Amino acid sequence: MTAPRGRVRGWAAARRTILAGLRFTSLRLRLVVVFGLVALTAAVSASGIAYWLNREAVLTRTQDAVLGDFQQAMQTRASTLPPHPTQDELQRAAGQMANSSQRFSVLLLAEDGDGDTVRGNSDLDTFTLEDVPASLRKAVNREQEITSNNKYTYHLYWQRIVQDDKPYLVGGAKVIGGGPTGYMLKSLEPEAKDLNSLAWSLGIATGLALIGSALLAQAAATTVLKPVHRLGIAARRLGEGKLDTRLRVSGTDELADLSRTFNRTAESLEKRVADMSARDEASRRFVADMSHELRTPLTAITAVSEVLEEELDAESGSVDPMIESAVRLVVSETRRLNNLVENLMEVTRFDAGTARLVLDTVDIADQITACIDARAWLDAVDLDAPRGIMAHLDPRRLDVILANLIGNALKHGGSPVRVRVRDEGDELVIEVRDHGPGIPEDVLPHVFDRFYKASASRPRSEGSGLGLSIALENAHIHGGGITAANSPEGGAVFTLRLPRGSSELADAEPAGGPGKPDDGGTRPEGDA
Amino acid sequence: MTSVPSLLLIEDDDAIRTALELSLTRQGHRVATAATGEDGLKLLREQRPDLIVLDVMLPGIDGFEVCRRIRRTDQLPIILLTARSDDIDVVVGLESGADDYVVKPVQGRVLDARIRAVLRRGEREANDSAAFGSLVIDRAAMTVTKNGEDLQLTPTELRLLLELSRRPGQALSRQQLLRLVWEHDYLGDSRLVDACVQRLRAKVEDVPSSPTLIRTVRGVGYRLDSPS
Repeated sequence: MTAPRGRVRGWAAARRTILAGLRFTSLRLRLVVVFGLVALTAAVSASGIAYWLNREAVLTRTQDAVLGDFQQAMQTRASTLPPHPTQDELQRAAGQMANSSQRFSVLLLAEDGDGDTVRGNSDLDTFTLEDVPASLRKAVNREQEITSNNKYTYHLYWQRIVQDDKPYLVGGAKVIGGGPTGYMLKSLEPEAKDLNSLAWSLGIATGLALIGSALLAQAAATTVLKPVHRLGIAARRLGEGKLDTRLRVSGTDELADLSRTFNRTAESLEKRVADMSARDEASRRFVADMSHELRTPLTAITAVSEVLEEELDAESGSVDPMIESAVRLVVSETRRLNNLVENLMEVTRFDAGTARLVLDTVDIADQITACIDARAWLDAVDLDAPRGIMAHLDPRRLDVILANLIGNALKHGGSPVRVRVRDEGDELVIEVRDHGPGIPEDVLPHVFDRFYKASASRPRSEGSGLGLSIALENAHIHGGGITAANSPEGGAVFTLRLPRGSSELADAEPAGGPGKPDDGGTRPEGDA
Repeated sequence: MTSVPSLLLIEDDDAIRTALELSLTRQGHRVATAATGEDGLKLLREQRPDLIVLDVMLPGIDGFEVCRRIRRTDQLPIILLTARSDDIDVVVGLESGADDYVVKPVQGRVLDARIRAVLRRGEREANDSAAFGSLVIDRAAMTVTKNGEDLQLTPTELRLLLELSRRPGQALSRQQLLRLVWEHDYLGDSRLVDACVQRLRAKVEDVPSSPTLIRTVRGVGYRLDSPS
């Protein structure tokens, strides 16, 4: 029984934690996202610029070196060739040209004596004329006019190409004055590799920056959210009535300001509430003391007025009728005053929270019958209560409630008053219905108010004006309640609901029933 | 009690004391009065009244203390005058050994009825005896002995024991006991029964905290068993 309950409690706790986390997610998440975006923008732009500059620098340097070498090789080797070199000569020249520090392939083209094109390759497998883009060939072979800006008819041209996913630099030049045309091919793969690893490094750096920014955002969110969380808890505690709640103020930031404001607010609130409750307490104590003080003379007056009344009853006739009516008035008014003071004291006890329950297990039908009987209402009340409904409650308080409800019904609705008792599991429901004009709608919400002056249809000639209010308080102290309504068939209905009390009633044997000394059904206890 | 019962009224307020004396005297009691607990205790020794009506709020030693001091030597009935019925006063008073209580403002008739009910508890009715283990209840002599020794019981405690012993093994509800022993109406205070059971257990049980004679029946009341 305990294990699943424990698990359920565990789930509930976990869910609460998650919910609490989610509650903070909005602000936390926003901070993390903003930090992340800032870091991403900064890292990506910095990396991008760095990559771009690096790439240009690396490529330009390589390119310049290669093309410089190529140009020099063209000048030293190709231009020294005869105007119509043979295939062999070209081939040798190309081999020599390629044999430089930059390791590029060379292709030389020239016309031999028959007007045929001869080619010289440094390595035939990797570099042929097909590898050279047509546009480059065209540019290299184009003869340019000589101007003041342009001193040569032919120029060195180059282009970056990609073959089989590998980057290459292709360059070409023609020896001025009818020499051979030379092309070179240089693989840029090492440079590409370098740049690739650079890009990887930058990417990793960006990722790290993102993670770092997320952590920073978390930390920042925590530093902001922790005080906010504390503030939230403090505000909730304040709302729950713990007015002595204060926050520890540290630092001088906006949150510290907020905490200080909170503390000041709580302080003034506490003071105001304390003032109010002190005033309230004083007036309440005054009423309590007053009614208590009234009680001492009332006790004496009550005792004496009873003596007087008995005197009248014993020797009626021999007393002056005027004196008799005077005595009767004193007696009845004393009784009324007694009731009023008693009710007043009851109310102050409820207000001060000092009212106590004296619980006992009783048969409800018996209690109601006795209550009606004691007040000589048996003829006026139509009781519908099955016997055997047991409840654990304060019999005296139940009597007060019933007497007030039934008395009220008799006074305003007239007899017969119907009292119906229902057993609704854990709850005991007692309905008191009269046959009067009912309660006006505008009075209905106020019937339980103290000293509420109802309209003329429900005059309150006698009674303290506290009866229904006391009945309601008595129901509340049991954990129950009373509602007032008008029945569709006419008349007012007061419905009293009381919890039936302890579950031990279920296994208790009926009162007065036979009980064997060691009967398992009845459980003797160590103490009463 | 063939003679007029004599009462001792201990009450500090002059008006209440005078009024109650008047009222009780009219009901046919002989009433002696005292204004303080000390005077009351002195009068008790001198006059040996049949019953004491005791105010709780007294100057000097209060009603509870008076009650405790009386109980040290005497088992005569005590009725408390208290301010409120649901107050701690009632509990303390009953624990101090009071037999019953009346809430102020007191109605003379109610007080008189309570006094007569308390006094009736000491009257004998049957001529037999019963034994529950080492406990012997002699209804003829109105005495209770445990292991041959006389137990000092107040009339209320004695009556409670008699009512329980009349129905051995049968659970009696608190309300039933209130009617039988205290002669209260339907609104009897169950704390009277509980307090009296406690005092009775303290006197008749071997171990009052684990009773074998007067057993609690949960949700019902009490019953008297023969220890097995």
